[in-house]
Amino acid sequence: MPHAKQVNDSVDHLFRHHAGQMTAVLTRIFGFGKIDLIEDSIQESMLRALSNWSYKGIPDNPRAWLIQVAKNNILDRLRKSSRYADLKEESKLLDKYAGSADSGADAAFANEIREDQLQMIFACCHPALTPDSRIALTLKTVGGFGVNEIASAFLSNREAVAKLLTRAKRRLRDENVSLEIPGPEHVPSRLNAVLKVLYLMFNEGYAATGGENPVRKDLCHEAIRLVTLLSEHPQTTGPKVHALAALFLFQASRLPARSGEGGSLIVLPDQDRSLWDGRMIAEGLRHFGASASGDEISGYHIEAEIASHHAVSSDYASTDWEAVLAAYDRLLARRPSPIAALNRIIALAEVEGAEAALEELNAIRDGKLEAYYPFHVTLGELKSRAGRIDEALRSYEFAFGLVDNLATKRFLRKRLEDIRSRK
Amino acid sequence: MDGFMLLLHDSTTSMGDISPEEIQGIIAEYVAWRDKIEEQGRLVGGEKLTDEGGRHLTNENGEIRVTDGPYAEAKEMLGGYFAIKAADYDEAVEISRSCPHLKYGGRIEVRKIDNHR
Repeated sequence: MPHAKQVNDSVDHLFRHHAGQMTAVLTRIFGFGKIDLIEDSIQESMLRALSNWSYKGIPDNPRAWLIQVAKNNILDRLRKSSRYADLKEESKLLDKYAGSADSGADAAFANEIREDQLQMIFACCHPALTPDSRIALTLKTVGGFGVNEIASAFLSNREAVAKLLTRAKRRLRDENVSLEIPGPEHVPSRLNAVLKVLYLMFNEGYAATGGENPVRKDLCHEAIRLVTLLSEHPQTTGPKVHALAALFLFQASRLPARSGEGGSLIVLPDQDRSLWDGRMIAEGLRHFGASASGDEISGYHIEAEIASHHAVSSDYASTDWEAVLAAYDRLLARRPSPIAALNRIIALAEVEGAEAALEELNAIRDGKLEAYYPFHVTLGELKSRAGRIDEALRSYEFAFGLVDNLATKRFLRKRLEDIRSRK
Repeated sequence: MDGFMLLLHDSTTSMGDISPEEIQGIIAEYVAWRDKIEEQGRLVGGEKLTDEGGRHLTNENGEIRVTDGPYAEAKEMLGGYFAIKAADYDEAVEISRSCPHLKYGGRIEVRKIDNHR
């Protein structure tokens, strides 16, 4: 059933999404062993579209066109390589797939296509693979991202990413990984691995390091697309999946307000909240509601809860800081992390004041935190609020020295100017 | 108004590892260019030629020889054409100048259709 998002997809990222979907469908038909051949055929179909559509314009049904061309390509290659293959069955399945691109496609088949993609996600996040290669392979195979795009999102180079992908695919072939959504007995552990990959994918995209790089925002949207897919299927959905979806949507709703001129970072207190994406917040709240159905509370639940407090506050000051602080306490009790500890300190400052927060920050500081620039930003922020301007400047200057990223440097330079002007 | 042929030659070296998103972006550029000249009423038509190189016919001492073309070492190949209307060469060149083909390694040959009778 086409809804607003799919209609939007037909213009935005059509090729990328289609590449991911077509890979999943072809892999179900021909097996993971043929993945290289499949990827080549899909690439061929897209290059053919490039040379053909450039002259004649876009055909009425671009998806069906791409599927037909990829179909002919892969069947030709297979017929050449195997002596007898008639491939009639496969050909019929592919025609059915091409037909599903019509608006009147039957719902059962649309569901099959979604299952193909879910199976592919589980294969790409297989425990036999290293965490790095899980993300890269998911982006490439399920998301249709190019090697260059993955490299640029992860500040890596294309050779390294290409090597990682080749090794990961070989590993899956060697392991003879079956393409299926794991049975109920395995879903929880396999699903955790998938959610972790999506969590890292989202954070990589959301990290305050890529104002100039549009691919990073795409990582956030891809993570949202995949977690939504998981949340819509009876075998994979659950409170934890909804919690992660809610977290992503609340965070991503702020993306339009988060970068200013030249990609400089705008932090939460300074954001123009009218730019937040209200549709995403509403969707996030829906998932957040659904996440409350089980008896398990995951870290994703708590993070989503914190994000929800921000999402529903009309301005920074009216945020329910006591609830945010309590949530950080629970989060840290389960899973200590320097980022969460610093964010808790910020909430504490809102509840008990800057001096009290500074005292606690000094109590938790250690060598590891000292090497982490957000620690010095937090220190500088609290000192400036406490009116200790010279000390605040020193902290911000120290933070500046620890940072490479341009967008972050710009943000820090602006803070330094603001604080200096208050002297 | 005269008729002009824009002959688009493709470089035969591959575009390398190009992502689906990039391919879609390049197609969008071509389509926008084509739409623009169509709106200006200058587009007569355009066709893509198949990639296999076609057949070449020559007369060798009275005997017609047919070969597959182009030669393997050819660095480029005629990929397709657009037929347009323009006041003169200057305008035809101006229209061609903004064609994305030039941005992506291709070459454009502009030829005026001779309508002298």
